[in-house]
Amino acid sequence: MARTALITGASSGLGAEFARQLAARGTALVLVSSEESALEEMASELAGRFGVEVEGIIADLLVEQELGVVVRRLTDSRRPIDMLVNSAGFGQHLRFERNDIDDEVRHLHLLVEVPMRLTHAALGPMLQRGGGRIVNIASVAGFIPFSTYGACKAWLISFSAWANSRYSARGVTVTAVCPGFTHTRFHERMGLPEREIGLPGWLWLHAPDVVAAGLRDIARGKALSVPTWRYKAAVVLSRILPARIIATVGARKP
Amino acid sequence: MITGASSGLGAEFARQLAARRTDLVLVARDTEALEALAAALAEEFSVDVEVLTADLLVQRELDQVVRRLTDPERPVDMLVNNAGFGLPLEFARNDIEDEVRHLDLLVEVPMRLTHAALTPMIARGRGYIVNVASVAGFIPRSTYGACKGWIISFSRWANGRYAARGVTVTAVCPGFTHTNFHERMGLLPGEEGVASWMWLDAPQVVAEALRDVARGRAVSIPSLRYKAMVALSRLAPPGLVTRAGSRGRR
Repeated sequence: MARTALITGASSGLGAEFARQLAARGTALVLVSSEESALEEMASELAGRFGVEVEGIIADLLVEQELGVVVRRLTDSRRPIDMLVNSAGFGQHLRFERNDIDDEVRHLHLLVEVPMRLTHAALGPMLQRGGGRIVNIASVAGFIPFSTYGACKAWLISFSAWANSRYSARGVTVTAVCPGFTHTRFHERMGLPEREIGLPGWLWLHAPDVVAAGLRDIARGKALSVPTWRYKAAVVLSRILPARIIATVGARKP
Repeated sequence: MITGASSGLGAEFARQLAARRTDLVLVARDTEALEALAAALAEEFSVDVEVLTADLLVQRELDQVVRRLTDPERPVDMLVNNAGFGLPLEFARNDIEDEVRHLDLLVEVPMRLTHAALTPMIARGRGYIVNVASVAGFIPRSTYGACKGWIISFSRWANGRYAARGVTVTAVCPGFTHTNFHERMGLLPGEEGVASWMWLDAPQVVAEALRDVARGRAVSIPSLRYKAMVALSRLAPPGLVTRAGSRGRR
């Protein structure tokens, strides 16, 4: 589908799974992560197993200079990037009023400002070449009020919907992938082990399924990808049910 | 306290709140316009009106606003996050630094001010936070609609979370409103590409908004025609709604 994909947050979770499935299809990769050893390990594993070229960029996307390196790679006209996957992110505690405001600002920057900057950088050359895929990893939380995390994901969903309709006629599609609860290290890194979230097992998704469904929807140029029928149904309900009821869902645990 | 108070909906909030005998702290960049408004309101309604000149995108000046908001000696009961501006729809051709400033003013600043206001309000068990959003938050419309979508989503969650502790959070979502918003974007009155029946007047928007704020509503959509449009936008296929959002020149 793409010759070369650049993936942020590539050393773990959905980012790593995107890397794996794209490599399996023969896509060359530029993996971006702040975790040096995990990145190197992945790069050599994928290059060895699938025989694709894998480049690594060690960068903290919240450091302007390091973000600048990624922007320059994204806009390098000699080595075009066909697909950008904005996957880097983390979660915040739901107690907004007690969270450090500077943590909340970093969260906003990584979840919104960074993908906005990278999308803007990628769009120029992609529009010029008349082709490209931009993938924003959002969440079903973007449909259900869920503190600043849900709000940031709502930003991405809204922007992706608009950008896809604006740019698809010129060959560039923009897709927001909205997984539900997925087994990755996301929750553990928030200090919230999966078993303490208290959700029934059938609500948990597996990263390979999410990414396989996401890649299908990306290939079709869809603005929105909600993997699995159960979460598709939840999103439809969230649009139809009274806002008051939806808000109580998001206000519950964790 | 009202940000972006020197014009548009901010000035109208100031006027209607002053008419209800609310003391005001007006925040904006334009000292002259702020002082003229402050003098007029103080005289007409005999309320206290403080003027705080600040560019909310300059850290030091934003910090001053945060300090005023959290001053225990002079509590603020209501915060109206109204400051904002629009950018041309052509995201790919906009200067990315303009886009970042737009994101900062429309999302980061209200998030910071809400965070600062919440703690003293929760401690007192009372307070109103009003976020001026837009119906564009329901209809994909470049980064403007996305930022307003952020504010609506966050306000819904925060109202659900804090109302039981006495603090309500309301996102006010006007449609096209006669203010100087479009003119500041370089669109002359009558040339915005919007049908005349779609225009609202600022006094009507603010009056309805204040009613919904008093009722503790999470979302306020002034006027029946825009309420109906938002309801439709939730039921209509997303692709159709997105195409509608690409219309108009705003």
